Amino acid sequence: MELLTHLRRRRWPTVAGYGLFVALMVAGYYYNITFVQLGLIDLGTRLVGLSETAVSMWMATLALVTLVVAVLTGVTMDRRGWSNQFRTKLQLLFGVVCVQFVLTFVAPMIRTVPAFGVWIVVASIGLGVGFPVSFALAIDLVPVPDRGYVAAGITAIAYFIANAIPLSWSIDVFSRLMVVAMAPGIVVLAVLSFTSFDRLDAILDALASQSDSFGTGRFCDDEPVRARQLSFVVPVVLMFGVFFIDSLGFLRIIDTPSLLLSSWQSPQLSTRLFIAVAHVVGAVLAGVIYANYSLSRIFLWTFALFALTHVMYTSDLRFAAVFPSIAGDGTSPLNPALYAIAVSFYTTLNFALWPDLSTPETIGTHAAIGIGVAGWLATFSSTALALYFQAAELTLLSHLNVVQALSLLLLFGLAVGLYARRMVDLARAGGEVGA
Amino acid sequence: MTPTEAIPLLVVVLLLVSIGGGDVGAMSVTFEGDHEVDTRADVHVVAGGTTTVPDDATLDGDVYVIGGTAAVDGTVDGDVTLLNGNLSVSDGATVTGTVQSYSGSATVSPEASVGRVSQFEPPTPSSSPTQRVGGFLLQFLGLAAFGWWLVERHPRVVANVGAAISDHALVSGAVGSLGATSLLVLFVYMAFTLILLPLAIVGLIAEFLVILYGQAAFGYLIGTRLPIERDGVATVAGIGAFLLLLELLGAVPYLGGIAQVALAVVGFGAVLNSYFGLQRFEPVTIPGGS
Repeated sequence: MELLTHLRRRRWPTVAGYGLFVALMVAGYYYNITFVQLGLIDLGTRLVGLSETAVSMWMATLALVTLVVAVLTGVTMDRRGWSNQFRTKLQLLFGVVCVQFVLTFVAPMIRTVPAFGVWIVVASIGLGVGFPVSFALAIDLVPVPDRGYVAAGITAIAYFIANAIPLSWSIDVFSRLMVVAMAPGIVVLAVLSFTSFDRLDAILDALASQSDSFGTGRFCDDEPVRARQLSFVVPVVLMFGVFFIDSLGFLRIIDTPSLLLSSWQSPQLSTRLFIAVAHVVGAVLAGVIYANYSLSRIFLWTFALFALTHVMYTSDLRFAAVFPSIAGDGTSPLNPALYAIAVSFYTTLNFALWPDLSTPETIGTHAAIGIGVAGWLATFSSTALALYFQAAELTLLSHLNVVQALSLLLLFGLAVGLYARRMVDLARAGGEVGA
Repeated sequence: MTPTEAIPLLVVVLLLVSIGGGDVGAMSVTFEGDHEVDTRADVHVVAGGTTTVPDDATLDGDVYVIGGTAAVDGTVDGDVTLLNGNLSVSDGATVTGTVQSYSGSATVSPEASVGRVSQFEPPTPSSSPTQRVGGFLLQFLGLAAFGWWLVERHPRVVANVGAAISDHALVSGAVGSLGATSLLVLFVYMAFTLILLPLAIVGLIAEFLVILYGQAAFGYLIGTRLPIERDGVATVAGIGAFLLLLELLGAVPYLGGIAQVALAVVGFGAVLNSYFGLQRFEPVTIPGGS
């Protein structure tokens, strides 16, 4: 691990860069998985009085607007050279955090649909600008060989806090917590972005210069990967598949009280702690595998884990269908724990992958397309499909059966794809030998 | 008892029924509530709630208790097996076969008529030093023979597994824990399909053998550090030392157990990473490293 070398050689600015990146990403991701994904549902249904379907449609709108804004931001960053300007990125991030701070503060006061709509659109713009900018900081702050481990650290910390600290999934609680947490972050970002004194400038200059050695991602070493190339499109499609499966399954799971109350919203701290530790274990394993194997191997593991998770969920439901007397018993914590490992796996991959498929000239666009299409578009599509399933009154088992089928299909498709690629490689090698 | 918790014990019941070899036409499973036993089934599984064999009823078949409570007040023409939960055989009740209890709480009245009462006693490490030493020697002999054969006939194979352990312990541990856990879950679920039960049993045995293979590789690594010239002898000595280390770790509460599991998964991962020793494991090279 490069971090140990930097520590041994007392390169404190570099070490501080690790800390800054992890802190920013943990804060951003925690905000996303709690306030945005869970708090808005509570805001829309309880305070504004919308139906769950209407809130889901607003959430889908948020995902779509975020995607559009992100791509516009990413392309602009690359064209104007902001992707390679460390201070500019910090200043943009400061603006985003300020906007989100105000939005977070006012969110519990919203009571009308138009206000909710305006809030959603403004938040989408903030998020859309925020994530390409924050991901672009990786090229300044995180050495390429450590990206898997750093991604694992971010995932582990964010999910551990989100699961181990028993918060009610209410907008008031999330808002209070986030406002208190964001306030010192704004001060730090303001100092880093706009103040100037010798020592700080020296540190920031040292960090900014690191993009020369950290900038070119792991998969761009031979030649830069372009957004239209298969080597970029295939990971985007695969990540889209992972996000889609996760979101489609999770939307229904959190809508099922027996599953929710025996796992993520369990009144027992031990259950939540078990899931939190499973997230940490999954992230660490993913970090180790990312750093030591090819990309295909970690994708295979991710799909295998998701397939296994959904096989377990659907098997339980089938079992309960055969023996209906136990249908109301909830589930064993093993299922959500395995789910947590699978989620941590692909989240870790998501944090490391896009900077590793980029150079300082392409990080803005690639991060925007990668996370926008894979993350936000997948969320939009899965929400739309979940709403259709809801309208069609699909049972829990049928819903999760579709998710299971998709996860098995992706696993099988990836395995076949890799095998076919190997065959093509062998055939080509044979052709050369024959020639 | 949730389905996930019930499944492994149900698989055990299925295995016991299969081993029994009887002609089973129907099976009943009770998960909750108070019931009188269904006399139409050949095998009765109590997984929750309370199931009673009334004093005026005769049940033709076997009873398995994996959770909840089973109360025998009448006659059971067969065996009663307690794997978990509670069992009571009251005054005047009859069990023609064996009342076999493995775990849980069993109360058999002295006034009851029971063919045979059998209590499974798990071998406790401290109960008999001779047994412990015997078990250790048996494990050592088996593993030492395998290690000897491997080092003498296929030295590169065991060297590759050993290198995956010594040079890439973290990666081997990660792959080992993921692989072992996933396969274990997979085999349990395969067993539950019944069709794949034989494959699941083979898989579980194979998983155990891979762990033993990893242990032999650990022994080989220790052997290479011993001042013994002959590789085969050094490996046998190393395996002995490794098994002794495992025994010592077992004596340390909590941390010893964790260390034993960690060694097992590292060995398991090293075997997988090196394709059973056919290839030296080399992690991918990431540019930009110092």
